Amino acid sequence: MSSMPVLEAKGLCKTYKVSGENSLFAKTFSAVKDVSFAVYPGETFGIVGESGCGKSTVARLLMCLEKPTSGEVYFQGQRTDNVPEAQRRKLRPRFQMVFQDSGSSLNPRKRVGDLIREPMQYHGLGSAKEIDARVEELLSLVGLPAEMKNRYPHEFSGGQRQRICIAKALSLNPDVIVLDEPVSALDVSVQAQILNLLRDLQEKLNLTYLFIGHGLGAVHYLSSRIAVMYRGRIVEMGGSDALFDHPAHPYTRALLDAAPVADYALRGRNRVSLSGEVDEEPPDGACPLYARCPYRTEECLRFKGEMTAVTGDETHLSVCHRAWEG
Amino acid sequence: MPALLSIRDLEISFRNGKRLTPAVSGVSFDVGAGEIVTLVGESGSGKSVTALSILGLLARQGKITGGEILFEGKNLLSLSPAELDAIRGREIAMIFQDIMYSLNPVLTVGSQMTEGMRRHLGYTKEQAWAESVRLLRRTGIRDAESMMKKYPHMCSGGMRQRVMIAIALSCKPKLLIADEPTTALDVTIQCQIMELLRSLREETGMAVLLITHDIGIVAEMADRVAVMYAGQCVEEADAETLLTRPAHAYTRALMQAVPGLHDDKARRLYAIPGFVPQVYGDMTGCRFAPRCPHGRECPWKDDGRMAEIAPGHLSRCRWEEGGEAV
Repeated sequence: MSSMPVLEAKGLCKTYKVSGENSLFAKTFSAVKDVSFAVYPGETFGIVGESGCGKSTVARLLMCLEKPTSGEVYFQGQRTDNVPEAQRRKLRPRFQMVFQDSGSSLNPRKRVGDLIREPMQYHGLGSAKEIDARVEELLSLVGLPAEMKNRYPHEFSGGQRQRICIAKALSLNPDVIVLDEPVSALDVSVQAQILNLLRDLQEKLNLTYLFIGHGLGAVHYLSSRIAVMYRGRIVEMGGSDALFDHPAHPYTRALLDAAPVADYALRGRNRVSLSGEVDEEPPDGACPLYARCPYRTEECLRFKGEMTAVTGDETHLSVCHRAWEG
Repeated sequence: MPALLSIRDLEISFRNGKRLTPAVSGVSFDVGAGEIVTLVGESGSGKSVTALSILGLLARQGKITGGEILFEGKNLLSLSPAELDAIRGREIAMIFQDIMYSLNPVLTVGSQMTEGMRRHLGYTKEQAWAESVRLLRRTGIRDAESMMKKYPHMCSGGMRQRVMIAIALSCKPKLLIADEPTTALDVTIQCQIMELLRSLREETGMAVLLITHDIGIVAEMADRVAVMYAGQCVEEADAETLLTRPAHAYTRALMQAVPGLHDDKARRLYAIPGFVPQVYGDMTGCRFAPRCPHGRECPWKDDGRMAEIAPGHLSRCRWEEGGEAV
């Protein structure tokens, strides 16, 4: 992994203003705190976490759909977060995004063919005839019959609509696709179809993915490396097998233990369980998990937020000062 | 011993203009006293409709066109509205997936908690209040006294689901129907709620009919399982048999479509081709046949009857008798 990262986040922070007296967070809310990672060509980098952990905000920051409060975003070595939009627009075809809700990310009044055609027309990729041929090619690439280009989005099932969104993202020949919970809204049988499709496309087109999800199995299936987020921070990051087989952070362990597994032999297994809920505020300066962690010590009150390598694996990092002892 | 709840050949149709569209056909299963039975299936399989029909909660377009629902030997379908009212909330309680809309937003938690006890059990306001506080504590709410005075919008999703469970338990029902109670919650909270339901069953001996789309939850919770597909119950067995020796091609496919946490990533997920049929009234024979990996080779595809393939193990598919796995 010595090559230049395709996407890189350096110390990203995003703070939102939250108004209203009854708000849980009085004035501002830090959605993302000091997030740094790099995604290398051809890999799939996964981000997992529960709702509100900031994973979708990270995606939006990397796509330059929002401006970070501080920190930097790089695309193939070029800074993208602080350049004028006109300049960024030239780069946009090369990083594309697929959203969770395929129903609301397709204009209901346009035919599917036109939806896929639109980005190519905007960026002037070829003549009308070439673009038409490309639309049909893209539809068959994602496993839909080319005749379907004349239909409207509502005529498709959720899984088919997600295929259309993927075709749309592919239309500009991107280098990297950010997938924000692309399968969470789908039934399991359809989920497997889309996961397989994403994997095939990656091989065929040499794509890089940033895959965001809360379904641990799905993220593990596609990703080579995974970051776990909690309350806006990356708490653990590493190769996906290392991370899932030997989690070093208590939160990762609890997340893995909480996921129901379709294996009767594992029923009633011992698990690390967290008390309370995500919105439980840790004391000032303490580890974000302090209020819920079963392994907390005095030292956890002085949280440094530094990622340190887990023994024996330089690529496996965790913010927990205690090496996993379970 | 006769079952606590026994559903026999249930048929439900929905009025669609002048036509009746069948949603559930020929569903039969039993829930014994103190048993946790899960009804598992993808969206549109008819599992929620089946659950709603037990308490007469179907939308106006829904019509039960055949079969019976026996609760302690009484057919709930032949009861007058007043008689059903005496059972609803008292003998059979229900909790729902939609935690946002299942509590009344303009009443405090306390007034919603005490309503059932005052009505069904004739408690005084003070008795009901004291019992409510006890129940809220039991469901894991630490500050139960102040929770009683809160409005639903002031609580998190996990808290609301606990309040719903506490309300459901308030009249000590013999059967709790839980319709996807954790689908809207994060996994660590889901894990807490499942733990709670399991321990409440041990403590009170109430039976639970748990509806879910997640085969992992089946593996964690169920004593017995009924698998639904396209409005039919396709397989029924005790949890261990179903998970370790599934007989129906759909059950097998469903289990193989879920990516595990420690799977070998090189293995491709088994994706069921096509999607769940939305209209299945006209289908004859096996309704899974168009998507089944055995497809045309299946000698029973025109049959689709439920048959007992081993004691206590019913299935509409007998592919396993022929031997080889999917």
